Parts: sequence; structure tokens; C-alpha cells
Amino acid sequence: MEGVLKPSCDEQHPPQAADFQEKPEQNSKLSAGVKKDIEKLYEAVPQLMNVFEIKEKIGEGTFSSVYLATAQLQTGREEKLALKHLIPTSHPLRIAAELQCLMVAGGQDNVMGVKHCFRRNDHVVIVMPYLEHESFLDILNSLSFEEVREYMFNLFKALRRIHHFGIVHRDVKPSNFLYNRSLKEYALVDFGLAQGTPDTKIELLKAAHSEDQQGSCSQNDPTAASGREVSASVPAPKLAAQQAATKAAEKRPSSLSKTHFKQGRGGKEDSVQHSVPRSVFGERNFNICSSTYQENTSTKFIKQSKVMDVSSRRLITKKKIIPTKTASNRAARKAASGCPSNLLCDCYATDRVCSICLSRCQQVAPRAGTPGFRAPEVLTKCPTQTTAIDMWSAGIVFLSLLSGRYPFYKASDDLTALAQIMTVRGSSETIQAAKTFGKSVVCTQLVPAQNLRTLCEKLRGTTSSSQGSQGEAPGEAESGSADKPCPETLGKQLPLLSSSQEGDHALAIIAADPQGWDQVPDEAYDLLDKLLDLNPATRITATEALLHPFFKDMRP
Amino acid sequence: ICEDAAGKLKSPFVKVEDRSRRYRPFYLQFPSFPLLNYCVPKPYSPFEVDKKYLSGQKQTQFKQRNKINSDKDCGTLVQLPPKDKKKRGYCECCGKKYEDLQAHLESEQHRNFAQSTHYKVVDDIISKFVSEFIEYKDDAKQIKRTKCST
Repeated sequence: MEGVLKPSCDEQHPPQAADFQEKPEQNSKLSAGVKKDIEKLYEAVPQLMNVFEIKEKIGEGTFSSVYLATAQLQTGREEKLALKHLIPTSHPLRIAAELQCLMVAGGQDNVMGVKHCFRRNDHVVIVMPYLEHESFLDILNSLSFEEVREYMFNLFKALRRIHHFGIVHRDVKPSNFLYNRSLKEYALVDFGLAQGTPDTKIELLKAAHSEDQQGSCSQNDPTAASGREVSASVPAPKLAAQQAATKAAEKRPSSLSKTHFKQGRGGKEDSVQHSVPRSVFGERNFNICSSTYQENTSTKFIKQSKVMDVSSRRLITKKKIIPTKTASNRAARKAASGCPSNLLCDCYATDRVCSICLSRCQQVAPRAGTPGFRAPEVLTKCPTQTTAIDMWSAGIVFLSLLSGRYPFYKASDDLTALAQIMTVRGSSETIQAAKTFGKSVVCTQLVPAQNLRTLCEKLRGTTSSSQGSQGEAPGEAESGSADKPCPETLGKQLPLLSSSQEGDHALAIIAADPQGWDQVPDEAYDLLDKLLDLNPATRITATEALLHPFFKDMRP
Repeated sequence: ICEDAAGKLKSPFVKVEDRSRRYRPFYLQFPSFPLLNYCVPKPYSPFEVDKKYLSGQKQTQFKQRNKINSDKDCGTLVQLPPKDKKKRGYCECCGKKYEDLQAHLESEQHRNFAQSTHYKVVDDIISKFVSEFIEYKDDAKQIKRTKCST
């Protein structure tokens, strides 16, 4: 979370109003806790003392805290800066990779840049320009349609840029896309979870990719793990220790801490649960087997739905890059030999499981990010994930903007998230698409795909005067199986009256809307449809999105 | 619901398996399948299960309440965790989990790593930065700042 003005609420919490006009507080007004943190930061990295005046803490996450500071430029001008203090448990390679992303890709096209970095031992502080920004939730229902169009256009510019460098961000969401409404400035932030594509231009993100599935079935005590060899290929003796670490990481705590110190937006504080580590290098490229592993079958609805898992990303040393192909072949062989049970059974694609299929290794694939923004191929543990996962996330942001709902999906685990996606995009459509990326999905509930215009208008509570030319999705019209109609909703086009809203929110009547919400063009929903393409291979790219008719009068 | 039991899954469920059939399937049996609920007021998710918005606690009231807080004490949290809460996590440097962040950072293993040459990769990048900032060397400023934070 970088460069914020005010604390603002996390998407899972009630909004905290951020008074945008307010000046940063004086030290005298800071709470004791924040004062102490600032003091500790000066102490940890004394060089800061000679350069910065740290004004306040503007965000805290699992992996970093962000402060607002001022400094004098050589030119004599005073400048505001965001100081991101990384958790000292971060591996130097992760830190270096984050810096490299900012340096190589940042500083233009709405991608956050970096000005400086300070280190003392394990304490690293990244200095970035400071961008005052809005809380997404606070402005969601007051944005004009035109502002939404500009917002999405600028998000695609940032994504086009990072994708060009072969960076998969993995955590695209409003809190990582800073938006200053009055200045019309935007910044994609936080490369703490980024991964490289196989041909990434970011040297430090280079890694033999996660196609290298390795199986391992050691039953080591997780606490014995101490493997932290940074390497692309995991030598066999290392596997046991690393696997144990993975296993420990894979265990989902049954209850998540809700006393998550949170303020401010963005960053990984939204994405991660405390007790689960980010990937350690090499962990991701093998698959574990644990006969004691239990997929959550007794659904626990945990309010805090931020989960990140071990397989977030892997870094390797420059010396040890090996061609992806070689790695995956070797890995595939390992997987074949490492699993206790490669036996087929009759449960495949049915409603059954048996001791044979349950004794196989678990597949490991990257999962880092925020649940409601994860693409179907992430939720189903597809080992090959591309920049398309960021485009899906952008689609979810767009869905929020068009429907006035944030967060749109609310799930505490991956399969609930997948079921919610089916509810919007259709179950058979989701199952079909999953086949294309190598996954068999069985779902007992047959839910039809929703017409996106109808869905968004119902949720936003506005009616459109322009009739969508895209017809009703098959089965959508009268099915009712997937929606829960409201008693007070008499017809599909009737707005939902929400008594809880203040004037500037839900428009109750069919009047011309000065904000343009009564004239949302079909192109908007066409683009949304292409972003939420269930098949990552055909999903629209950032470059293509900028050329979509929805942005017809804008310059990519 | 019996975990990990071989046999028939209870409907409604979702089950995912790699088409290679070489990995363990994973599945979820739902008490009830997610439903799009249009009755949930904006800006809440249509999948919101928590009925907090029905309790007469409208979001506008949340806003009011939080406004008071944030106006007063910007940069601090409304709900601070109890200070004695240990921060658990995983140290990438040492490759191990810890129960208490501060304690781990002070452990010998971590301190050794912190002072090791592993950070050269970071320093190499830092060396590329050209500072645009004025560096103050006078103690006056330092004293003043130290004072602010007491």
C-alpha cells in the first residue's frame, strides 16, 4: 500500500470516511502507537533521519507499513513521499525483485515508480512519490459513467505496461490502483506478489516456471523445515525440507485473525492472512502429498476473506536460471515418481472420491492475491498462469464499477469464489472453459449465465433507457434459479429501492441521469464480457482492451 | 459432513480435478449454493451472507461514526488490535515460522542473516539511485525530530 493520504477502509469493513481536504496531522496529534512506530522506523533505518520528516503512518499491511514523509529537494522545494517499510522477514531477493519492477516498469503509464531505497541490515525502506487518493468504496456510487470509463482506460494502460515487461501483478484490485479523482492521476502499486512470465524482462523475476510440477511425499515434521536454498531446480535432497515447509504453509488455519491492524488501502494487507507465508523460493515448483491434508469440507464462513497461500511466487538467483522446458520435464518425471498413488480410479468427473484419488499428491499452483479477484484458472490450481489473471481482476474491478458493489464477490475460500463466479457466468460455461486449461470441474448446481447488463443495472438500481442489443442469456429471463428476486422488485427493469441510501446514491426513479448511468452503452458490457472470459487463452489483453470500442475516442 | 471420507459427495458441491488425473481432487460441499441476492443494499456484495446491513446499522451511519474517528485521529486505526497480540508469520530469510515477530527478529539466526551478505542484491540496486534529496547533517534537526516522537 503506497502513497495514500488517509486511512480508508478495507473492502471487507465499513467505510471510514477519509476527509480528502484534510492536511496531514502534526506529530502532536498522532496517536501514541503511530508515534512509536515512526520512532522505531528512524531507529531501524537511521539514514532516514537526515533526509525525511515522517509525518504519519498511512497504511499497514502484513508485509509492509507505509508512511507519509516530506523531504527537501536539492532544488529547495519540499516534496511529499511515501515510505514503504518492508517487513524484515522479506527475503532480499523478493525485495530486490519488487525494486526492479518499480525501476524498470514504474514511473510512467500509471505504474508507480521509485525514487530511492534505504537499507540497514534487514530493514528496507522504499521511497516512492506520494499520490493522494480516494477510497474506492467511498466514491464508488458517486462516480459518473465517464469517470468509470477513464478509470478503466488508465488501469489498462498500467497493465499493458507491466505485461509488456512480463510482470504478472497477481493482486490487481482497487486498493492497489491509486486514483486521484480531481487530478485524474492513477498509479498501480505494490509488486510484492508479482511473478514473471517465462520471458519476463525483469531479471529477478526469472524463474523456471510453475509448470515444473514435482511430487513429494515426505512426511517430515513441518517444524523441521529450514530449506531456503534459492534455486530454480530443487535438488532431490532438498525436497523433503522444502516440502515440509510447504506443507506447513498449506495448512489453513481454521480461524483467521480478525484483529488485523488495518488502515489505509492496498498492499498486501488485504491479500494475506498472517499465519500463512508467502512462497519461499522453490516451494512452488513441486506438489505435495499429504494424506492428512483436508480440503475444507465443512464450510466455514470466515469474515476475513483474505487468504494468500504459500505458492505466491518464487525467486531465483541469476546464476541458476534453467530453461523452462527442461525444468518441467524433469519435474514431470519427478511428479510421476514422487506420488504414492498415480493410480486411476472411477471417481474422475463423478460425485465420488475414494482412497485412491484422495491419496494422490495435491497439485500446487500459485494462489497469491485476493480471493474475490482470483481468476478461475487460479481458483482451480492451474499451474500455468499468465498475465491474463490480471485482466480477470481488472474485469472484477469493472464489474464493481458498473454494479456499484464492492467487493463484488465475497468468499473465504477458492471453491466458494468459483461457485460465485458460476452464479454470474454460468456453471456449464465455467466447466467448459476449465476443460481448456486442463481441469475437470463437477458442479451439482446448474446455474445459468447472467446477462451482464441486466445484472449490473439490477444491482446498481438504475434503469437504462438504451435497451441492450445483447439478448437475454439463455435461461436467464425467467429461470430464477440463480437469483433471489426481491419481494419489492416487480419487474426485471425496476430499480431496487434501497431505503438506506442517501440522496446521491441509489436513484429511485427513471429520470435522466446526469452522470450517464441511464445510457451505459453496450460496448461497456461487451468489454466486461471479454475481461471476464472464463478461458484465459481467449481473454482480452490489456493492449486489445485499450483498442476496444468502449474507449473509441481515447488515445491508447 | 465427514472430512476426507471416501465415498459420495453431498450435493450441492463443487469438485475440481486435474485432467491428468495424477493429483488429488479437491472439493467443497456447500450448506447451500451461493445465490445472487439483489436485496442486499449497495455497496455490499450480492453474495454478502452477513446480515449486518439489516441490523438498522446503515452504512451511512458507519460513515458518520468513522468520520468522527478519522477526523480526530487520522492515521490511526479505529479498531486497534490488542497490543499484546503477537505477530505470527513466516520468515523467508530463515525459512521458518515464528509466533512472535519481534522475538524472531532478535533471534540469533535472524540477526545473522540480517547482517549477512545476502542483501548485496538489494544494495546493488540501491547503488543505482541518485538522491534528489538534501541530507541534513545537523543535530538540531535530529533533536527536534526525536523530540516529536516522545
